[in-house]
Amino acid sequence: MEHAVRVENLVKRFGSLTAVDGVTFSVERGEIFGILGPNGAGKTTTLEIIEGLQTATEGSVEVLGLEVRTRSRQVKSRIGVQLQSSSYYDYLTLSETISLLGSFYPRRVSPRTLLEQVGLADRARSYHRQLSGGQKQRFAVAASLVNSPEVVILDEPTTGLDPQARRNLWDLVRDIRERGVTVLLTTHYMEEAEALCDRIAIMDGGRLLAVDSVENLVRGVKAAYSVKLVLSRPLDASRFASLGVDVTQMETGDTTTYVLRLKDGAGGLNAVLNEIGNSDLGLEHLEITPVTLEDVYLGLTGDGLRD
Amino acid sequence: MLALTRSNLMMMARNRQGLFWALFFPVLLVVVFGLIDFNGVVPAPVAVVDLSDGPRAQVFRERLADVEFLEVEDFVRTDMDEALRDGDLGYLIVIPPGFDETAAGVGEPGHDPVGLVYTSRNPDRNQLVEAAVRGLVAEVWSEGQPVQASRLTTANVIEVPEVDYFDTVLLGLLGLGIMTNSIISIAVRISTYRNQAILKRLLATPLPIWKFFASEIAAHLLLALVQAGIILAVGVFVFGGRLHGNLGWVLLITALGSIVFLNIGFILSAWARSPAAASGMGNAVALPMVFFSGTFFSTTSLPWVLPYAVEVLPLTPMLSALREVGLDQAPITEAWPQLAALAGWAAATAVAATRVFKFS
Repeated sequence: MEHAVRVENLVKRFGSLTAVDGVTFSVERGEIFGILGPNGAGKTTTLEIIEGLQTATEGSVEVLGLEVRTRSRQVKSRIGVQLQSSSYYDYLTLSETISLLGSFYPRRVSPRTLLEQVGLADRARSYHRQLSGGQKQRFAVAASLVNSPEVVILDEPTTGLDPQARRNLWDLVRDIRERGVTVLLTTHYMEEAEALCDRIAIMDGGRLLAVDSVENLVRGVKAAYSVKLVLSRPLDASRFASLGVDVTQMETGDTTTYVLRLKDGAGGLNAVLNEIGNSDLGLEHLEITPVTLEDVYLGLTGDGLRD
Repeated sequence: MLALTRSNLMMMARNRQGLFWALFFPVLLVVVFGLIDFNGVVPAPVAVVDLSDGPRAQVFRERLADVEFLEVEDFVRTDMDEALRDGDLGYLIVIPPGFDETAAGVGEPGHDPVGLVYTSRNPDRNQLVEAAVRGLVAEVWSEGQPVQASRLTTANVIEVPEVDYFDTVLLGLLGLGIMTNSIISIAVRISTYRNQAILKRLLATPLPIWKFFASEIAAHLLLALVQAGIILAVGVFVFGGRLHGNLGWVLLITALGSIVFLNIGFILSAWARSPAAASGMGNAVALPMVFFSGTFFSTTSLPWVLPYAVEVLPLTPMLSALREVGLDQAPITEAWPQLAALAGWAAATAVAATRVFKFS
């Protein structure tokens, strides 16, 4: 069976800017695949090329075995799309908007079924502008399902939502996958990628840095623990470097946060803790955690996620 | 596409404020013009055909030129009747060959009287002009002797549908309303859709682009016809305006004009970065046409090459066709130059719109 999505050597240039730079990955049928990266990483451009909204400068994109460049209409009728910043008509109710969108497709789901699925059945006669942020995002997901698509592409579906609304949306995405639909989404939230995605592609600066399951990515990091220090004054990193520790610095207002990634297990941790105990670092906060996706990300990009 | 057109109409109907102003503004102008009495005596163009060419006729012509509400013009055309019918000429006075002969036999049978030809368009003015001309002929002829004034002139009235300034302006307002609403409404709407990424969302569906354009145009055309109906109804039933021609043709011309202006709206929406900018641009395009295309007054008195330049504006042929068909009762086929000009505009603007249109 062909891949749900196959992207090969994708390049997109806008004048002198290369937004997507030689990206290759594929999404298997039935999985939730996440593209993780900071703003400006090239995530949205990649999605829009897959959706047929933009054309690639180089490379090829296939969706459900169809070349997007030449068979864009067929692709569009078999996928569902939620755009990052799209709004809907001001003077149509939710139910009417879904009906209208449905009329563009050969196959369509009734507004009632869709609104029930996303928990908006009681808002069927409301206008889009009357919805809360979380409801708007759920509606956008409902609108992406109007043609009973085989692949759903969601661009930052939870950006700007409160934690409760975000979790609601995660449940909705899992529910969509349960129905056998492939989900391709982008996010710049680490925990979202970790909680939701079967596999993750990490993008930064238009390049693809890694593609794998969260488990494999974490396993791939040659570190057992990560120690987070919040200090009131700058740290002399060389003191820790001699212990074989990788130090990353993140500026956060008055204090400075450092993440130390330890390559050894318990022994290394002991040495680092001793060093911290023996120095006057102005320690305000200390956190020891097993390696997470964030560490994978930091290791790959050498930077924190920029918002 | 039918679903999209229906949805478009539904949205227009629900945007009550927008709809109200779209429909109300031209009606307001109809009210303003309906309340003002424009039909006082305005100077009428008069042509004199002098078949006598004697000194008495010369005196008569000089005296005629002194009459305040008559503008004697050197008007030479083979189809004087047609000129009168079109309103290019107000009155035609024909001085007979025997005008300079002696006063004896004046008013006797066989002696040709001075002919006065006019249309039934302006009865009040006709009475005034007829009295003035008759008095003048008697005065020139009598040379102090009493004459039978009524025998000296004959009036020949060409029956035409009665049309006054308000009737003319009413069709001007119809064109104005359709133009401003078509241009501004579509420009603002599309630029709003673009700003809210609704256009992009539609592009992500398999909907063919032409269906999107066609349904927007279909919905706006229907709105334009409703608007035309309201303007004409208020003008005719409330203010006694008259429409002599075929209403169906009037609406057809309205629809053709509306397509041109909708296309212009699409073009403007491609350049406007915000709905407010779109509205401003729409007004900037529409306003000059309001004044230069003969909505309220004739543009023949404009200086320099302007009278020819305004012929090029799309509102000009629309109004001219509306008046020719709607007031002068000309068959639609006689308005073919204007219809051809409008069709040309529609085609050119459609090509331009598809070239410059942007989805995001």
